[in-house]
Amino acid sequence: MEIPEILFNPWLRSILGLCLMGAIFIGAMIAVWFERKLAADIQQRLGPSRAGPHGIFQLVADAIKLFTKEDIIPANADRFLFVFAPIVLMGSVFLMLVAIPFGAVIINGNTYPIAATDMDISILYIEAVSAVSVIGIFMAAYSSNNKYSLLGAFRNFARMIGYEVPLGICIVSVAIMAGSLNIIEISEAQNPLWFIIMQPLGFIVFFIAIMADMGRLPFDQNESEEELIAGWITEYTGMRFGLGFFAEYIHLILGSMLVVLLFLGGWNLPEMLTSNMVLGIILPTAFFLGKVAIVILAIIMVRWAVPRFRIDQVVDLSWKRLLPLSLLNLGWVILLALLGV
Amino acid sequence: MSGIIDVSNIIYSYIPVAIILVVAFLMPPVTMFLVKQLSPRSKSPVKYETYEAGSVPTGSARIQFNVEYYLYAIAFVLFDIEVLFLYPWATIFREPSITIIATIEMLIFIFVVLFGYLYLIKKEALKWQK
Repeated sequence: MEIPEILFNPWLRSILGLCLMGAIFIGAMIAVWFERKLAADIQQRLGPSRAGPHGIFQLVADAIKLFTKEDIIPANADRFLFVFAPIVLMGSVFLMLVAIPFGAVIINGNTYPIAATDMDISILYIEAVSAVSVIGIFMAAYSSNNKYSLLGAFRNFARMIGYEVPLGICIVSVAIMAGSLNIIEISEAQNPLWFIIMQPLGFIVFFIAIMADMGRLPFDQNESEEELIAGWITEYTGMRFGLGFFAEYIHLILGSMLVVLLFLGGWNLPEMLTSNMVLGIILPTAFFLGKVAIVILAIIMVRWAVPRFRIDQVVDLSWKRLLPLSLLNLGWVILLALLGV
Repeated sequence: MSGIIDVSNIIYSYIPVAIILVVAFLMPPVTMFLVKQLSPRSKSPVKYETYEAGSVPTGSARIQFNVEYYLYAIAFVLFDIEVLFLYPWATIFREPSITIIATIEMLIFIFVVLFGYLYLIKKEALKWQK
């Protein structure tokens, strides 16, 4: 079957991007439910259990509640920044989403990634727009006129800038091995050997750094609810809080996708599995999303197993451990590449 | 294969980005508009006070903060620019005619920056001041 030329039209791709936006909202809701259920299991509680079977509709109920809550902007807050901060956060995660493929369809041996766009520098672009979220968090905290919020935002800054450097060096290592900065080409370069096997050290550093980038425990110093109330989001209520909260969970899903795309082989499968028409359409995407689910599971389980680090420990970990380790990994990759692997 | 969009025409790659950006910027205001229609409203001066820690806040929050954060920011600028220079080098690494010379140049560059890193550690600039 020939794929019609219209599918490569950028305008049609934009519509696909809008569909992916809807999909990621549902994905984020499932992730929140999943996290609450898993946390309950780990702590031997029941978790959400009333709304629907196993509480699966709990998030729908929460969304309805958030929609009917009054929107309060504190009188002392800077109104413009306060209103604009969730917009920046949402913009950051959705711009990330544009360049990330959500799987692929393989027809007649041709791979068609399910992505809204395809750039030659997409991984650099993703890292850049992902870092914009720190500005959104700082805007929220600074406008709140709340000392705890501002402390949370400063910690967020110190953490993010510490982990951006090892993250970048790991991405460069991957780019050298794949010979491209295009995330689709990077993913396809891992057929059949995943990069986690070629550079295990890089994977560990990248995984820790992306967890810090997403602000997941043990790296959620910007919230640290035991000491900073709720950190940067303290003054936010109702749906405005919900937007920031959702942005964090979307970031979680997209970050897990990045881990799978860069190190865990993306959607690549042995050719005999995908030669069949129906299997070729279903299997690569299912395989990819399954791996993403496993990564999310691992990240959530770490959250409930490891206590939060102090800010000086976090900064030390990034500057004095991860940065040298990532440079070591870069050296290892250069060595492999010069040996012609 | 790759190239789901004609990358040679750079505009094509960024049309979806522009459209999603517009939608992402419109989504929070639209949501907040819906909330305004659905939610109850009642005014009282106490409600619009800063919550902070539950008690009445003392003074403004826009005060001077630990200088430590700025020192880290300066170190970050140094290293982030280093990483930015690595990106173009990573893409041309596989070109056989240029691999050796580019790698040697890049290793020299990395060692120079590494020297700065060791200097920072020796000066205890990367040590959190209590």
